[in-house]
Amino acid sequence: MNLRAIGCNFQTANVELREKLAFTPERQAFAASELSARFGCETVILSTCNRVELYVGRAQGGSPFDLDLAAEFLGETHGLPGERVRPLLYGHSDATAVAHLCRVAASLDSLIVGEGQIAGQVKQTFESARKQGTTGPLMNALFPHALRTAKRIRTETGISSGHVSVSSVAVDYVRQVFDYFEDKTVLVIGAGKMGKLTLKHLQELKPGRILVTNRSPQKAVELASYCGGRAVPWEKLDDALSEADIVLSTTGAAEPIVSQKRYQELIQPRRTGGTLVVLDIAVPRDFDPAIHDGDRVCVFNIDDLTRVREQTLAQRRKHIAPAEAIVVAEVKAFVDDWQRRKNGPVIQQLRTEVDKVRADVVLPLLAKLDGKLTHAEKEYIEGAFKLFQNKLLHGPIAALQEASREGGSGSLLEAVKKLFRLG
Amino acid sequence: MTVTPLQGITYTCFGLSYILALGFEIARVRWPRAGLRSLGLILGAVGLLTHTAYLALHHPSPAAPYGSLLLLAWVLAVFYFYGTIHHARQAWAVFVLPVVIGLVGLSLLLITGDNANDIHVPPWSFGDTLWGAIHGFLLLFAGVGVSVAFLASVMYLVQARRLRDKLNPLGGIKILSLERLEAMNRRSVNLAFPLLTVGLILGGILLKREYDTIENWWSLKVLGTVGLWSVSALLLYMRYAANVAGRRLAVLSILAFALLVAVLATAHPFAEVAK
Repeated sequence: MNLRAIGCNFQTANVELREKLAFTPERQAFAASELSARFGCETVILSTCNRVELYVGRAQGGSPFDLDLAAEFLGETHGLPGERVRPLLYGHSDATAVAHLCRVAASLDSLIVGEGQIAGQVKQTFESARKQGTTGPLMNALFPHALRTAKRIRTETGISSGHVSVSSVAVDYVRQVFDYFEDKTVLVIGAGKMGKLTLKHLQELKPGRILVTNRSPQKAVELASYCGGRAVPWEKLDDALSEADIVLSTTGAAEPIVSQKRYQELIQPRRTGGTLVVLDIAVPRDFDPAIHDGDRVCVFNIDDLTRVREQTLAQRRKHIAPAEAIVVAEVKAFVDDWQRRKNGPVIQQLRTEVDKVRADVVLPLLAKLDGKLTHAEKEYIEGAFKLFQNKLLHGPIAALQEASREGGSGSLLEAVKKLFRLG
Repeated sequence: MTVTPLQGITYTCFGLSYILALGFEIARVRWPRAGLRSLGLILGAVGLLTHTAYLALHHPSPAAPYGSLLLLAWVLAVFYFYGTIHHARQAWAVFVLPVVIGLVGLSLLLITGDNANDIHVPPWSFGDTLWGAIHGFLLLFAGVGVSVAFLASVMYLVQARRLRDKLNPLGGIKILSLERLEAMNRRSVNLAFPLLTVGLILGGILLKREYDTIENWWSLKVLGTVGLWSVSALLLYMRYAANVAGRRLAVLSILAFALLVAVLATAHPFAEVAK
């Protein structure tokens, strides 16, 4: 196998450089074609927000591609000097490149271990490259295998368990309180960027109505039109709170906007609905945490959500070792299979050629002895020649298979071809 | 007289099946494996089948304490089995099975005590008349309602506790949402109360007509049932008139269940007289 995986990721390049080296889908397709044409190899370029990687390989023959050439190519494609790109790059060859791709697809090499997006991105990248015609036998076998490995890891380990975005954790808490959302009111207080992301997750629950309030009426109207909600004047905050089931608070207020006293005196007596869930993701906090009782009012602030996120990540990290063991097993399976595929045609050809030689010797011999031998004797002679042939070929074939397992059967394969005059 | 294998079914068969099923379900909470769920379900099904066979063969009288507890345990076992299949991800069995096992255990205690002879009560002994049977059924179904309200309340309190402690929402024991549990509690009490009311009135009429003695009126069974009715009425009042919800209603529902068990475990005036 002649495979190289060369690239940079969040560990070797900062976001500024990653942005410069990133490929748009169009540029990605062009660059892959260019690389394939220039080096006569199969190419897949993986470009995500956290990594840019070139997978270059050939089913037969050596690959001329290395880190310097990759740096030069990336620099040339993105208008950067190669020397600036070279220190950012890492490279893997053959089996380690296979392992790297498996780890990437299974998100073992991701910023957030176990995140689910990368497998989809790898799949999409491979499909695009295949349509573009820059893949061949090696990549067509490698990428589906890496994706299967990623799926196996997700299924057999808890690497993807739980949610690790603050917004998803917030929604998980909401789901512990409510099951039905068509009759629920979501109140958004403030218009912070983080709030918009959480609101997006809450919108997926399809709540009955969304109310938006902000000290700036204009911002409230803007956010309300963005999320299909209704703007409520800031002065009516207590009314809105008494009607709400879920509150998303993201103001930039220096002091809590809802103290325990205010809640108990002005809001609680007017509430007729069920439990109130407050997602207070503002810093400093908008709601006094003393309001939280886990029954009628549940207040979750950014620290609570981040803590759960960290717990989930710690939980996922426990599954890294079993996942790595799967990667090792799958890499071995792929390399063995690939070598079998590569040696298979040569071994078959060798057998056919020697069969022909045997027939050339045995058939005239049997013709000469025709009439002097019984049927059983003829069969015995044929069997002896077959046995001789098998014993003769056993050595070269076993040596080829051993060399395959050790990952270096290329020169031996060539030697066998030359020795036995195989085309 | 030939003895069929089914006649060999005892409390041990279904009691042990339920205990083992509970063991697997608890293990599933810690190690969520499909195999544990399957084993739990298989043992639960065995328990339910043997329990059903026992009831069909021995016809325990619902008027007898051990019989009413065993019947209630059976209805809750059906509830457990349905819930475990329907709410596959939830730790349903972990809450329902202990109640089933507890009721079976209590029934066994009562059968080996004073009422040991009741095991041979031959026909379905619902009472002396059709009205006695109706009275028994109404109270049994009311008991199911109170039991379901109790289970919903226990789950509610556990879920509320998890929320109060802000535990990882996707970690640990899986329970239905507060909203769903509250709705389950509400529907169960709404259903139990009218059944309990009519059953109680019917029982009062029967008692007045046939066994009208001071001792019967002041028996633990009658007083307990009136207490249960009062708690159920209070539950409805608190929910609909006083707008109380959540934890306090859950605690009251648990009290109602405790009264129900006490009522079922005490001797029935009708049965006492019949003896």
